[in-house]
Amino acid sequence: MVAFRSSDSSARTSGLLLRTVLYALLALALIIVDKRYDHLGRIRRALSLAAYPVEVAVASPFQGWAWLRDSVTTREALRAQNARLETALRDAQFRLQRFDALEAENRRLRGLRDATVGAGRRFLVADLMNVDLDAFRERALLDKGARDGVHVGQAVLDATGVFGQITRVGELTSEIILITDPAHAIPVQINRNGLRTIALGTGDPGRLKLPYLPTSADVIAGDLLVTSGLGGSFPPGYPVGVVTEVRRDPAQSLADVEVRPTAAIDRSRELLIVWVDPPVPAKPQANAAAHPPAPGPAGSAAPPASAASSPPASAAAPPPASAAKAASAAAPDDVE
Amino acid sequence: MMRESRTGRLPMALSALAALVLAVVPLPHAIGALRPDFLVLVVLYWSIAAPRAGGLTLAFLGGLALDVVNGVVLGQHALALTLIAGWATHLRLRIRVFSLTSQCLTVFALLTAYQFILFWIDGATGNAVTNVARWLAPLVGAVIWPPLSGLLDRLHRR
Repeated sequence: MVAFRSSDSSARTSGLLLRTVLYALLALALIIVDKRYDHLGRIRRALSLAAYPVEVAVASPFQGWAWLRDSVTTREALRAQNARLETALRDAQFRLQRFDALEAENRRLRGLRDATVGAGRRFLVADLMNVDLDAFRERALLDKGARDGVHVGQAVLDATGVFGQITRVGELTSEIILITDPAHAIPVQINRNGLRTIALGTGDPGRLKLPYLPTSADVIAGDLLVTSGLGGSFPPGYPVGVVTEVRRDPAQSLADVEVRPTAAIDRSRELLIVWVDPPVPAKPQANAAAHPPAPGPAGSAAPPASAASSPPASAAAPPPASAAKAASAAAPDDVE
Repeated sequence: MMRESRTGRLPMALSALAALVLAVVPLPHAIGALRPDFLVLVVLYWSIAAPRAGGLTLAFLGGLALDVVNGVVLGQHALALTLIAGWATHLRLRIRVFSLTSQCLTVFALLTAYQFILFWIDGATGNAVTNVARWLAPLVGAVIWPPLSGLLDRLHRR
């Protein structure tokens, strides 16, 4: 206090300390309210609307450049691209031929086993906005928000794999956490043998790790990881990554497994936001008689799938408060 | 090099807006960590050069805008910026007569304090970023302080 007065003769700055403290307390109160209670969602949404012009101003030169580059491509380039796309489409259709039949069969079999899991059915295409959020966290901004029905916890995919999930929804934009964020964890399963584990992000856009596999686990380089669907945030069966390296140190009990994400984390611009179908209530069977009748809330109606899925969900995402929030926020929407 | 005067709010608001834009302009992943805290530098300049124009209010509102744009807990940057702006306003008479080198060193200290407050709030709210690279931003900020303050001086005098 004395230092403040002696350093300055101006009468106005004697209030400097007071004003600084007032503003600081206000900011501290905001932090506590925003962290502890969830009352600020609406205010934040309004503020995100105010930030929208800045984001658009930053992103638009890049979009303009992309548009310009697209509009001056040569005929030859277009022909080449067209031929390439036709080949890709043909390949995709070949693979798709049997898919419908297989999916129907799969559903029927799962129905028989009383183990129907939710599947991603409805998509919304969203563009990544060219905005940097934080150098040390793998976050990104999408150009679709609450107005388009996006909600917290939805999975985001690109054409080749799982990309991330939605952590915050604004009016016109939404924020996603990428699967490579150090605070993100995604429940996965090895496609070859069904071994379930959790893939953590590393902060490096080209790398995930599987820290919870024992040294004896059956995992080899080249294994494809797909989402297991446990936890309910991600639809099951979408590719997450390919194992690139397995290091087994006999002195350690856990193996050191490196994974390369299949999604083009640092290149994709067009993404898909997925709505996961709620697990279909299974037909009541003799051994399910103890349960209340089916028309109750979906959570109690599909005991095996959802009961099995909830504990791993909380185990899967201890680090990110946002992801945990996401999982709990996603549940009511899934029920609808 | 700096003088105190009753400045209009317009140059302040414009420079803060420009700094906010620079804070989210996409950079390649490899050099993203080197991005200096432009808004902090701008707030420091106005706190030192024109303390009566409302540097504290600018700091609080600018910090809030950074929170929203960066998608972190609301109030984090606002708190850090307010404290740093208050400190800089308190030191302004000394800083103004410093040589350029001493100014850079002071700015470095202030920016490091700013990072430390952010780091502390990150930890307290459960998203700790324990990357050593985050301490590079104050260094870069101190290096670009002379050209940036020269630029803002011009804006100020106009």
